[in-house]
Amino acid sequence: MSTANGSSLRGGAAIVGVGTAGLGEAPGFNAMDIQALAVREALDDAGLKLSDVDGIFCANMSHTFPVISTIEYLGIQPRWIDGTNTGGSSFVAHAMAATLALQAGLCDVALICYGATMRSGAGRMVPATEQPVYEVPHKPRYPMTAYAMSAARHMAQFGTTREQLAEVAVSARLWARKNPQAFERGPLSIDDVLGARMVMEPLTVRDCCLLTDGAGAVVMTRADRARDLRKTPAYFLGGGVASYNRAVSEMPDLTSTAAKDSGERAYAMAGMKPSDMDVLQLYDAFTINVILFLEDLGFCPKGEGGAFVSGGRIAPGGELPVNTNGGGLSFCHPGMYGVFTLIEATRQLRGEAGDRQVSDVETVLCHGNGITLSHQATAIFGTQATL
Amino acid sequence: MASLPKAGPDQAFQEHVADGRLWLQYCDDCGEAVFMPRILCPHCSSLSLEWRPVSGRGTVHTLTVLHRRSRPGEPEKINHAIVLVDLDEGPRMMSHLPGTAPEDIRIGMRVRARFEGEDGARAVVFDREEGAA
Ligand SMILES: [Zn+2]
Repeated sequence: MSTANGSSLRGGAAIVGVGTAGLGEAPGFNAMDIQALAVREALDDAGLKLSDVDGIFCANMSHTFPVISTIEYLGIQPRWIDGTNTGGSSFVAHAMAATLALQAGLCDVALICYGATMRSGAGRMVPATEQPVYEVPHKPRYPMTAYAMSAARHMAQFGTTREQLAEVAVSARLWARKNPQAFERGPLSIDDVLGARMVMEPLTVRDCCLLTDGAGAVVMTRADRARDLRKTPAYFLGGGVASYNRAVSEMPDLTSTAAKDSGERAYAMAGMKPSDMDVLQLYDAFTINVILFLEDLGFCPKGEGGAFVSGGRIAPGGELPVNTNGGGLSFCHPGMYGVFTLIEATRQLRGEAGDRQVSDVETVLCHGNGITLSHQATAIFGTQATL
Repeated sequence: MASLPKAGPDQAFQEHVADGRLWLQYCDDCGEAVFMPRILCPHCSSLSLEWRPVSGRGTVHTLTVLHRRSRPGEPEKINHAIVLVDLDEGPRMMSHLPGTAPEDIRIGMRVRARFEGEDGARAVVFDREEGAA
């Protein structure tokens, strides 16, 4: 019997396989090539075969019809096909959509995947065909202009400082230094961030995510089947999406995102609250993102995110582990990052995150952000003990 | 089939601002001012939107400055400030201030609209208001 907040989906499906490929640089390969490698790794991880996949979810920025091209490349004939594209948040939203499709019996093995080779050049980022026409004449640089505007407003309104923004980048780097697969692993100080090349005030190049190649894939099944597979399942406990605007000039409040709504929906479905979350994976395209999402997802009051991240609170050894793989700022960011929040959540829940493993992880919150603070998707995962 | 108004909203905007004034749509049903131009009111879904000239005055809500990199040997490129302006009538828009140096623009600064660009493709830009801090 379904309930109004979708809680019938709680625990209904789980991530049973994860894979990555071409992280960093993959010259000579295109998006579909490395995506296929990530898919194979995820299926091998689960102990499943490509022929088992009968539901597919994907989005990208290099293809007009990514999910169709993916089906063709992989040689599969799925009976459920979802190409919802909400930007980098897509894959976090796909986890909820996959749970829904699995629960409804529309598919039995759901594949969520992404690949891009925009750093090496074969399959560049194609600008979106629909640009905000009343913004374009003023020569913004998407997506950075939107985030810089939000950061500037957050600083003016709440007294947030560039040092506090820098703390987010430094925390991400400290995590990345524990992750052998991270693209940037060199030491990074707050002064390094502040003194880096200014790109779009108040953001320096170190406030901005990497631009790498990379692919990620996630396999989900219904919970009953998940228990019989090779790896410890990461159960889907709750999810939510929200969007108010495409263009940043249409955003109702530059310092509050729709993550407030997506988060509330996810918590309601999971029957949980922020203090129940052990680890967070927050889409950090820019340092301001983490501050906004910590506020909007209920970890601190609005306006206090800058103070909250100070003193290493979200860094290794801090009270609240955030972006334990090094995030989009230091791990990898191939244009869309959302799928990597799911992969790292799974690794932390399984206890296979190596040097960066957080102890006693029972719950992980993944948060995806799309376009220019335009779409927000939250998904909460947990171990068997949380069911 | 729904009937079409005389001109599409983007075309109507260009036709109205040809007189050098800023025009916005106003909703006959809920009274809200609307920008970007639309066929229906995003506040109440009314189809009764009427064009009215407005003050063109507003306040800088936020800004960012793009630092452009010049190649070796090239003269240093000029930084470019992009703003969001809150119009006194309510709506917010992205714009820039072609006659004001980026370092002279502040959040909260009062600004006044004018137009740049060719007939049929005019864009709203702003100048710092006389005597504004
Ligand atoms: Zn109205």
